Amino acid sequence: MPLIQARGLTKRFGPDVLAVDHLDFDASPGGVTGFLGPNGAGKTTTLRMLLGLVTPTSGSVLIDGHAYRDLPNPTARVGAVLEASGFHPARTARNHLKLIATVAGIPFSRVDECLDLVGLAEARDRAVGGFSMGMRQRLELARALLGKPDILVLDEPANGLDPQGIAWLRDFLKWYAAERSDKGDDGRIVIVSSHLLSEAQLTVDDVIVLAAGRLAAQGKLQDLLAGTRQSVRVRTPDADRLVEALHAAHLPASVRDGYVVSEGATPEAVGPIMVENRIEVHEMASSSESLESLFFQLTSGEGMHPGYAAGLMGDYKQFTDGPSAAPPPAPRPAPAPSPAPAPSAAGQLGGQR
Amino acid sequence: MTRLLSAEIRKLRTIWSTYVLFGIVMVLDLLFGFALAFAPGGRRGGSAGIVPHGSAQWFANVFSVLDNSRLLALVLGVLIITGEYRHKTVTPTFLAEPRRGRIVIAKLGIGFGGGVALGVLTMLTGLVIGFVLVAVQVHSCLSISGVSQGMSQAVCSTQHGIYYVANTHNMWHDWWRIAPGVVLGTGLFAIYGLGLGALLKNQIVAIVVGLIFTLVVETIVGAIWPTIGEYLPGQAATALEDAARTSFGGGADRLLPWWGGALMLLVYGVALAVLGTLTTLRSDVT
Repeated sequence: MPLIQARGLTKRFGPDVLAVDHLDFDASPGGVTGFLGPNGAGKTTTLRMLLGLVTPTSGSVLIDGHAYRDLPNPTARVGAVLEASGFHPARTARNHLKLIATVAGIPFSRVDECLDLVGLAEARDRAVGGFSMGMRQRLELARALLGKPDILVLDEPANGLDPQGIAWLRDFLKWYAAERSDKGDDGRIVIVSSHLLSEAQLTVDDVIVLAAGRLAAQGKLQDLLAGTRQSVRVRTPDADRLVEALHAAHLPASVRDGYVVSEGATPEAVGPIMVENRIEVHEMASSSESLESLFFQLTSGEGMHPGYAAGLMGDYKQFTDGPSAAPPPAPRPAPAPSPAPAPSAAGQLGGQR
Repeated sequence: MTRLLSAEIRKLRTIWSTYVLFGIVMVLDLLFGFALAFAPGGRRGGSAGIVPHGSAQWFANVFSVLDNSRLLALVLGVLIITGEYRHKTVTPTFLAEPRRGRIVIAKLGIGFGGGVALGVLTMLTGLVIGFVLVAVQVHSCLSISGVSQGMSQAVCSTQHGIYYVANTHNMWHDWWRIAPGVVLGTGLFAIYGLGLGALLKNQIVAIVVGLIFTLVVETIVGAIWPTIGEYLPGQAATALEDAARTSFGGGADRLLPWWGGALMLLVYGVALAVLGTLTTLRSDVT
């Protein structure tokens, strides 16, 4: 029973920039939905269209079948934490919130409640001009929470927060999403956009991945990660012997940064080979594919810094080139020919928005 | 709408720039008022030669500077709307009330109210100036060994005959002839500024355009084509003042009837605001 629906959502800035391109997605209550994509993928534009700040060129994004602009009292329905949202530097935190509370008909006691909630109680009578980035971000969150909304939209909320702040936000969002709203049935919708994948992996339940303004993937994070490869990493003084042994067993292997890495292999496969060959092991770890590599796969490195993308894509190419024990490429710097843009491919960057 | 209006009032009340602006108005009024009072000649009565201190013409000249407050009312109007863009508070504002036209209407209302408040402050400052001038005249009368009949009527005699006349009657008379015009003018000029701000969006640009148009362009146009000049905002605002019709003399100023001036100003302000709402304010907030 989705509450937020985007259909054919398209936004063009000028003749050249297609920021969002026929996007369809649903967001439903009960979990945290991650809105992921590289810089310039159209995340912010999409969220701002959802919030009625940006007018779609075509298509629509509706909240319970209504555009944001048609919601009678949007503050009570949708709370938004936006990156570029502003404060008058001379206004105190409390007065800033009182303005919104006045418009939305929310009692001022709720203002103090929200400031308490985000840990700004002591700073409430200070002018926002003197606030740190993290404090502003918290104030934004307090503003978003004023109306006890059942939909919470956050654009890069971790920006400017310190590690404790990020951890707190993570817990808070999970709690908020799971909480039953006062307005009814099945919890709340929390949408978080992020480019910090390791952070998102810890927070989100559902994922919407954007690449170059298009939907690259949508679904449960677990489902998307399931079926992705594991890899095994070994630290050993006998690196060369281990690589040979793994190749002999038709497992891919290479030495990277002093570790033998076997992608697609499981510890159960690598372990016996090491015992058999009496290879001394100092450290061994297995990892399943992270959201990060899944993300690069889905977004094909588009819109990323070319050098960065090329390097990572090199890894990925090598990885998809198959487990058929082709001789592993040289440890580093030469990524095999890959579709990733060369550092000079300014066109790729030009599309960012 | 009540909520929007009270939020807009709160916006003005919770930043110090509002108070600074009102303070500037007071200081400028006092500065120019006293300067003009003791300057040789007079602002608009220059052709008439030296205006006797204490005369009705003298007070009319002094009070005539007060209508310059409308320039600061224009700035107030510009600030009310462009401040939102400058500090990006437009995002939370539009999130809380996505129907942007309603916000503009609320701002027009508060802009008018703010302008009127500024006009009232100006006229009260004018009253302070007036009383001080009367007191100064009475005092100097006494020191010249003249005859005093109290604050309301002081006549000084010197060897040249009756010379100083200072009385509150003259002052009140001239004050009343300008006060309604100034107050209405500042109110409407704030709306005009708001319209400019809504259209131009950029704070500095809107202020500079507004001031240059009023101070320079209007003066030139008014001098060359008085028939056009009288319809421009500055002259339209001057037309609101009863005193402007007679006391300032010269006869060079062609002025609309007071209601015509008010109507013209309202048309400028609202037309600009509507235009701004349809163009700038409708645009994406990114």
